[in-house]
Amino acid sequence: MKSGFYVSAAALAMVAGGAFAQDLKFPVGEGGFNWASYTAFDEANNLDGQSLTIFGPWRGEDQVLVESMLAYFEAATGVDVSYSSSEGYEQQIVIDAEAGSPPDIAVLPQPGLIADLAAKGFIKPLPAETAAWLAENYGAGESWAALGTYAGADGTEALFAFPYKADVKSLVWYSPDTFADAGYEVPTTMEELKALTEQIVADGGTPWCIGLGSGGATGWPATDWVEDLLLRTQPADVYDRWTTNEIAFNDPAIVAAIEEFGWFAKTDAHVAGGASAVAATDFRDSPKGLFASPPQCYMHRQASFIPSFFPEGTELGVDADFFYFPAYAEKDLGSPVLGGGTLAFMMTDNPAAAAFIAWLQTPIAHELWMAQSGFVTPFKGVNADLYGSDALRKQGEILANATTFRFDGSDLMPGAVGAGSFWTGMVDFVGGKSAQEVADAIQASWPQ
Amino acid sequence: MDNIAGKKPALLWAVHLSVVLLVFLWVVPTFGLLVSSFRTGDQISSSGWWRSVQTQESQLPAIRIRGEAVERDGSFVIAGDLFENTGAEISRWGINSRDTEAFAAGETADLGDGQSLTVQADGFFELTSETSLEGARLPRVFVTASTPPDFTLQNYNNVLFSPLAGQSIGQAFLNTLTVAIPATIIPILVAAFAAYALAWMDFPGRALLVAFVVGLLVVPLQLALIPLLQFHNWIGIGKGYLGIWLAHTGFGLPLAVYLLRNYMVGLPRDIIESAKVDGASDFEIFVRIILPLSFPALASFAIFQFLWTWNDLLVALVFLGTGNDQQVLTGNLVNLMGSRGGDWEILATAAFISIAVPLIVFFAMQKYLVRGLLAGSVK
Amino acid sequence: MNPAFQALVVIIIGVGGCVGYFYLSNLFLDKVLFPAKGAMAGRNINRANAIRPWLFLFPALALLTLYLAYPVFATLWLSFTGRDGAFVGLENYTRMIAEPKFAESLTNNMLWLIVVPAASTAFGLLAAQLTDRISWGNLAKSLIFMPMAISFVGASVIFKLIYDVRDVSVAQIGLLNALWLQFEGGIGSFLLLRLLPGLFVASLLAAFAYAGWLVLRPLLQGRAEPLTLRAGRVIGAAVAAFLVYEMALWLLGVVTNDLPYGQPQTWLQKPYWNSFFLMAVLIWIQTGFAMVILSAALRGVPEDTIEAAIIDGANPFQIFFKIKVPQIMGTIVVVWTTITITVLKVFDIVLAMTNGQWETQVLANYMYDKMFRALDWGMGSAAAMTIMALVTPILVWNVWNARKEMR
Repeated sequence: MKSGFYVSAAALAMVAGGAFAQDLKFPVGEGGFNWASYTAFDEANNLDGQSLTIFGPWRGEDQVLVESMLAYFEAATGVDVSYSSSEGYEQQIVIDAEAGSPPDIAVLPQPGLIADLAAKGFIKPLPAETAAWLAENYGAGESWAALGTYAGADGTEALFAFPYKADVKSLVWYSPDTFADAGYEVPTTMEELKALTEQIVADGGTPWCIGLGSGGATGWPATDWVEDLLLRTQPADVYDRWTTNEIAFNDPAIVAAIEEFGWFAKTDAHVAGGASAVAATDFRDSPKGLFASPPQCYMHRQASFIPSFFPEGTELGVDADFFYFPAYAEKDLGSPVLGGGTLAFMMTDNPAAAAFIAWLQTPIAHELWMAQSGFVTPFKGVNADLYGSDALRKQGEILANATTFRFDGSDLMPGAVGAGSFWTGMVDFVGGKSAQEVADAIQASWPQ
Repeated sequence: MDNIAGKKPALLWAVHLSVVLLVFLWVVPTFGLLVSSFRTGDQISSSGWWRSVQTQESQLPAIRIRGEAVERDGSFVIAGDLFENTGAEISRWGINSRDTEAFAAGETADLGDGQSLTVQADGFFELTSETSLEGARLPRVFVTASTPPDFTLQNYNNVLFSPLAGQSIGQAFLNTLTVAIPATIIPILVAAFAAYALAWMDFPGRALLVAFVVGLLVVPLQLALIPLLQFHNWIGIGKGYLGIWLAHTGFGLPLAVYLLRNYMVGLPRDIIESAKVDGASDFEIFVRIILPLSFPALASFAIFQFLWTWNDLLVALVFLGTGNDQQVLTGNLVNLMGSRGGDWEILATAAFISIAVPLIVFFAMQKYLVRGLLAGSVK
Repeated sequence: MNPAFQALVVIIIGVGGCVGYFYLSNLFLDKVLFPAKGAMAGRNINRANAIRPWLFLFPALALLTLYLAYPVFATLWLSFTGRDGAFVGLENYTRMIAEPKFAESLTNNMLWLIVVPAASTAFGLLAAQLTDRISWGNLAKSLIFMPMAISFVGASVIFKLIYDVRDVSVAQIGLLNALWLQFEGGIGSFLLLRLLPGLFVASLLAAFAYAGWLVLRPLLQGRAEPLTLRAGRVIGAAVAAFLVYEMALWLLGVVTNDLPYGQPQTWLQKPYWNSFFLMAVLIWIQTGFAMVILSAALRGVPEDTIEAAIIDGANPFQIFFKIKVPQIMGTIVVVWTTITITVLKVFDIVLAMTNGQWETQVLANYMYDKMFRALDWGMGSAAAMTIMALVTPILVWNVWNARKEMR
């Protein structure tokens, strides 16, 4: 702080920060927003002149969206917020934490990584009552609270991270027109989905587009498949114990789920380009097969973010739609939903950071983003009419109707597995290795 | 040097041809990127860039009929053009994804429910319905058409003037220059002195020091990030320009010292010896003789160090920070790609925008890469 | 204060400071501390000359020590500690060696270390020599240099547009597959895919065999040479023998392989070959570097030696190989060394294109993976130390060279 360079940089930051403070997207007091929560927060917090740095995963369009929400926080508290993000934010947060210059608030989509940071003592615990608040106010609240609870540096468990913004992953995307042309119905059970898959093959079509390519992260889309299928073949507690390795990766239950994925992805007739194309196709290009002429495939299982990779001009609800990746009717496991989400946590004792966590507990902080796009929340206190589109509202419903919600398992596992051997193992699996071989190798890589 | 090849025209032709081939191999990938930067994301991922300059016949993605219905002769009609840009010519079309080439241009298709659709070769369509089309889902048309080349400047517009990255590209450009220029000049200066000492001064341990420098060449950058940021935080400069200048200097030094020393060792001994005999001090020898003679080596290292700092993202993110006011060009461009990063067209365009300055630097420095100064001083 | 203005000030302060430091410290040494006059003039000059190198070296050494050497020692220490920071001895190393991915990285790195520096230097030398003698040489140079100026962000798209693979039913957007699909097994395919590469590989085989023979011959003749040189000859011959063996396998492959005509190929997923497709990216980038440096060196070759050779009736090839190349050998070695070291550190190409999957892992990416993805600093540091250790032969060679130059 002594350095002249630093001071001038800070001055510039204030100018830049002021840039997004001025435009509040929705006029205060209008529309179906919970403005009462905004004014109450406004009155309770006065932190004029303080500054807050937030580091998160949202870039590009998402950054514009999050900044529109942050503008209200600034207006309510007088805090000067500077939000930043970068490619490779996971590495960067580790470097910054280790080097001793962390942001005040960090937001990450990987609970596993947050747990590592908490264990090293880089994260400040949240107030004790926050866990109870989550349990009460979030749908499937206990599991959300559990998601942010880790052992600290001294070994005691506490809530460290606050979940904000969810993604639904158990979605199958399709083109309603293409379905109508062929006379197919949206399946409601896994049995129907499998029958439909075979029906499409019998009719001379290709049912699925699956692409695992993602540069250095190649393989991750397959981990979502396996997790979704595990939730549909085994009770949720198997899933939980699997993510902590209490149930070994090469347990028959897990191997069966991997083989289940193989039924979709390793049968040449089931997937566009044949099994060998699965690992080579980029996940961003893969959904385009739905809209090709003639269609390369009829269905694409992917999380809620994927429409940004649909061809330009694709209208959600008209040209493209989605249905819930269904559960087996005969297994009686309810309707499990696999999802993801981002969690915010404090890395400094800045009072503005504590205020920000409190802000995330107001309905308005959720409504401001959900009224735009790409935001689903498990917060029950928001006005669901505000969802920016029917697609979002439908995802919100899937989230609300879920009997079980489970977080993306690969993000819960240690990085060596969840962002390493699990990915590569899945690539090996579609490349020809057996499920057992792959599971054995992944189990061997689990850090002891 | 023309005296070698000049005498044999056949050989000269062979040289020309080989260079053409070599340049072709080296340029094709970049040229593909250049062409792609003028195409939309959909075009990039649906056809090869080498096909973009020719009229091609292909099945286009389904196009949905749009437009306002007007009442005509008791039926409702929507008429319009399937293509926004003209020039495409339809050969076959269809309305069902299972039979996308059912009709020839100009034919009329019966859609059932009293609707019928006619599509002309130039894309003009007419949808007629007996009942109101209000709120109805309009049909899709699959067309097989030959489309003329179609290029867009929209990508450049998006990259240069997009509000998405949170700040203007101009600011990022300035930030990058602010990082790159001192981070190029300082290491050269420091390294030149060290290289001279290692090349021409006699002291114990010289060979070991050379080894030390070569050994440090191989240090992976990632190792140094955390200890150094810790150090910067500890001495109080934190994240900022001073820190990144020092970091780039430190990381660039081994190569600078190594290259310059090897160049300086090759300078003619007699020039330096005679200067010493004339009573010049080492400092004077260095400034008056070594520096001018080493200009090609200094220039080539300057080019590489500048390129490296210009294109660097990692060091900038770690030592400068990610705030909008500190973002460098690479960081800004990468952020444009959004959280999932898959916009090939943005990537391609961004790459071409960021390549401009290094190329200008290369062109500007090229004439200094010749050892002409040496020749002048010897003769 | 505007950062650009700040930068200007810093350039002036930095540059001025550096120059001032060197000038004033020398002045101080010569005029105040050990003035070269008076009774002790001779001794003082000697003393000043003993200190002066360190004045010249000080800023560089200080920065190098702080910014590179210190992290290396910190890493060395980390490589002996476990996750909780306790000393664990060689455990990280034994765990690392037990991992199949480590052995894979090591073998791949060997391949990279042979192919990339050789190919980049050869292409760079070729480009430097050829472009020097034609009118549009500078333009050609700039074009070959261009890949160096492309940020990695751009390079990743470029090679996606080359290696991409699509289903055979749709248009390919990868150039390589589009070309591949042009072949259907006719006479053109035979010429371009069998005969031409066959001849090329055969000539490589012959070249390696001849080079190996040249290296080994003095040893077989029993010439008296220092032990180190003999050891070097044995190693060189072994490398050549290995390459000859590889080329023989390739030749066999080229002649006998059934080529899957008409099927798009997943280039980056074919074990062994995919490493070469990744190497192509680095060669494409590094050739510009080699060309720039070698071109400067070639222009420094004294005209009179060339003229003398021309008068003696040497042909252009003889002039190039017998006159020019030996004179710029020092620079060639520097370029080779620098590229070798770049290869040891390369990870972004592998990270972005395959992340070490399909058996393409290399040490630097392995290290990055362990450090930042698995957060296993112990093993990551151990991998880093392995990379550092691989450079030892180059170190030894440089010490030897520096000693030789001294005398």
